[in-house]
Amino acid sequence: MGSVAIRRPDPAIRLLSAGAGLVHSAVLLDSGLEHYRGSFRNPAMLLPLATSTVNIAIDGTRLVTGCSTPDSSLRVAGQGGAVAVGLIGMGFHLFNIGKRPSGFGWGNLFHAAPLGAPAALVLAGALGAAADRAHASIISDGRAVGALCAAGIVGTAAEAALLHFRGAFQNPAMWLPVAVPPIAAAALAANAVVRRAQPTTAALLIVTAALGFAGAAFHAYGVSRRMGGWRNWRQNILAGPPLPAPAAFTGLAVAGLGALILIGRVRG
Amino acid sequence: MSSGAVMPLEPRAKDGRAPDVFVPGGWTPMGEHRDTEAVDFAIVGTGAGGGTLACRLAEAGFSVVAFDAGAYWRPLEDFASDERHQSKLYWNDDRIVEGANPLKLGANNSGKSVGGSTVHYAMVALRFRPEWFKSRSLLGYGADWPIDWREMWSYYAEVEQALAIAGPVTYPWGPKRPRYPRRAHPLNAPAALLARGAEALGIGWSETPIATLSSPRGKARPCVYRGMCTIGCSTNAKQSVLNTWLPRALAAGAEIRDLAMVGRVETDARGMATGVHYQRGGEWRFQRARNVVVAGYAIETPRLLLNSASPLFPDGLANSSGLVGRNLMVQLNQAVWGQMEQEVRSYKAPPSLALTEHWNYEDRGKDYHGGWCYMSQGPLPIGWAQTVAGGRRMWGQSLVDEMNRANHSVGLKMVGEVMPSPDNRVTLANEVDAYGLPIPRISFSYGDNEHAMLAHALPFMEQALEAVGAHELWREEEDTCHLNGTARMGDDPATSVVNADCRSWDIPNLWICDGSVFPTVGGANPSLTIQAIACRTADRIAAMGKRGEL
Repeated sequence: MGSVAIRRPDPAIRLLSAGAGLVHSAVLLDSGLEHYRGSFRNPAMLLPLATSTVNIAIDGTRLVTGCSTPDSSLRVAGQGGAVAVGLIGMGFHLFNIGKRPSGFGWGNLFHAAPLGAPAALVLAGALGAAADRAHASIISDGRAVGALCAAGIVGTAAEAALLHFRGAFQNPAMWLPVAVPPIAAAALAANAVVRRAQPTTAALLIVTAALGFAGAAFHAYGVSRRMGGWRNWRQNILAGPPLPAPAAFTGLAVAGLGALILIGRVRG
Repeated sequence: MSSGAVMPLEPRAKDGRAPDVFVPGGWTPMGEHRDTEAVDFAIVGTGAGGGTLACRLAEAGFSVVAFDAGAYWRPLEDFASDERHQSKLYWNDDRIVEGANPLKLGANNSGKSVGGSTVHYAMVALRFRPEWFKSRSLLGYGADWPIDWREMWSYYAEVEQALAIAGPVTYPWGPKRPRYPRRAHPLNAPAALLARGAEALGIGWSETPIATLSSPRGKARPCVYRGMCTIGCSTNAKQSVLNTWLPRALAAGAEIRDLAMVGRVETDARGMATGVHYQRGGEWRFQRARNVVVAGYAIETPRLLLNSASPLFPDGLANSSGLVGRNLMVQLNQAVWGQMEQEVRSYKAPPSLALTEHWNYEDRGKDYHGGWCYMSQGPLPIGWAQTVAGGRRMWGQSLVDEMNRANHSVGLKMVGEVMPSPDNRVTLANEVDAYGLPIPRISFSYGDNEHAMLAHALPFMEQALEAVGAHELWREEEDTCHLNGTARMGDDPATSVVNADCRSWDIPNLWICDGSVFPTVGGANPSLTIQAIACRTADRIAAMGKRGEL
């Protein structure tokens, strides 16, 4: 990479950093809870906690400075580690699903290790790496990052669709993360294609980011509807809807806003 | 009461209110009727038949009083995680059992609670195979139902919605059905072993459609996999008549009288039913009614009809065919058990999370009539000790040793179709019970067909367990489950007790609506079918009411 670190704080970098850091935070909490629930039976179940923690530090630092650091081997190691652990995790989860009776049938997609979850680590690692190269040629036009965020939002919505289907969409609000974020993702992808940042896209991304927070609140309500409610939090946080999961929408939408700024700059 | 079980001393549903099953100590308003007021329907029994019908008739605008001999429980505060205590949910009154295979009555074939046996059922919610409704014409055995399977299919769908059944996304057997309202639960270890065994033998398996919530529903919480289902679910995850149809019935104005034992249906000189005699609060009372529905299940229903004999009906009510009490059908409930190297912990989660209906839908390779399915099992400790002590004659140290390795035990249990036989029947004994009513005498024997089915099923289930590495296999050969028949429905008054609408041929305002009306029993648990019949009956009654035919 021949690019030089830019010392002036850049809001696009800040948004990308905040987004990547949020997704890493969601991964840390979600994998922490779920792997604790799985008793960390395989020591590799600790890896996503370690890599996401390292990357929260990296992305947090960059959020404060607002500046890229493309040449830090420490950061390359952290971000590469996140991508690698995410990919390995997807493999582990695939194996976990496939070894059960009926393989990739609905029951195992619902209840076995979630296929999409480790992908968030891949995405967040890549977003962090992109934030550190925001002024490199393939990143600076925002199109690749925008496409990445759009794909991540669609994937996250797909996971929400699968798990909310598991919950039989028993609360109509469960349709929101399935219905709204893909529209934002489509708008972001379209903006990346035509190299134009539209205010409606920004608005849709802000709504998606807000949905992430609303989702956490809804999930807290969901925990209250299980036997014993919040008084029985030690069981219900594990058995109920995952509190940290919706934050992935917020992270990806915030990073998407960063990408949108980059896209908007091309036309100046 | 001979059981000595813990019962509330006083009826709860009175003074304009009934227990709110979702709130400890809670109450919900209830309409009330005077004994002297001739209500549209007096319903005897509040289980799968009577409770469902009470709801649907009340919602159709009829005045309804439903009686139950059992107590009105609030599961959240009244149910303990204790097998012995929870025997308070069973009908343990004195009976005489006889025949070559005398039935063991209580846990898995009776209920004495508002909500009936659904309060402690295993929640297995299966539809009949369509051909079973015409088993005489299409399969060559038993008797035809006077109802078309396509009509039943729509009522099954209604009941599945009412109970928020958790089932597989696609069900592998039978004609297309709507998607189950809730998704299937995760498989527990014994269910996964059933699945692996079925895959090894090359037959289909499925998550069992089951009446316990996999996601929240109103005030009911999703299942927490305690595994105490068959002694009464204390979290309300189980969707029983008690916490589904009856709250709706109360909201629609029905009155429910708990701890009210009906001893006699009264008939007048014109041969019409006029009401029911019942004992509540220590005294006998008489409720007038324009119609009487008997829904006491396959022993108490014929017992009540026979006990209600009058000069006009000396052989008991609705009994001109002589079939009241005859054709009692249980289901074969034999099991094969074995030991696994790994821990299984069968008792975790609902007991029957996986099943195969392969032999319900496959007729080739059978030298007998009828079908059977088998399911994974989850016995609770005392029940398991009884099974091992009885089935393997273990006692003392050997029983203790066996119980110490119960976490490694795994089993498969069948639900198998029993042929209707007029000699398997319920009659009245000379002895009387605490109410002063003659107790029932129940005679039951297997026929050749049952023995032939067992000779196929037990080795097959053994193969399925061997295929997953179970060893030390042994057979539990004595158990049966469910009760059906004894007041069969049909097209001909000479060969049936009620018509397709559950209306008795002999007395136009006397109806029978429970498992008694089954002409055949199939190889599937009956509760869903009983509720579907009740829904259909309610619709038929409402239609007849509109036409002035009641």
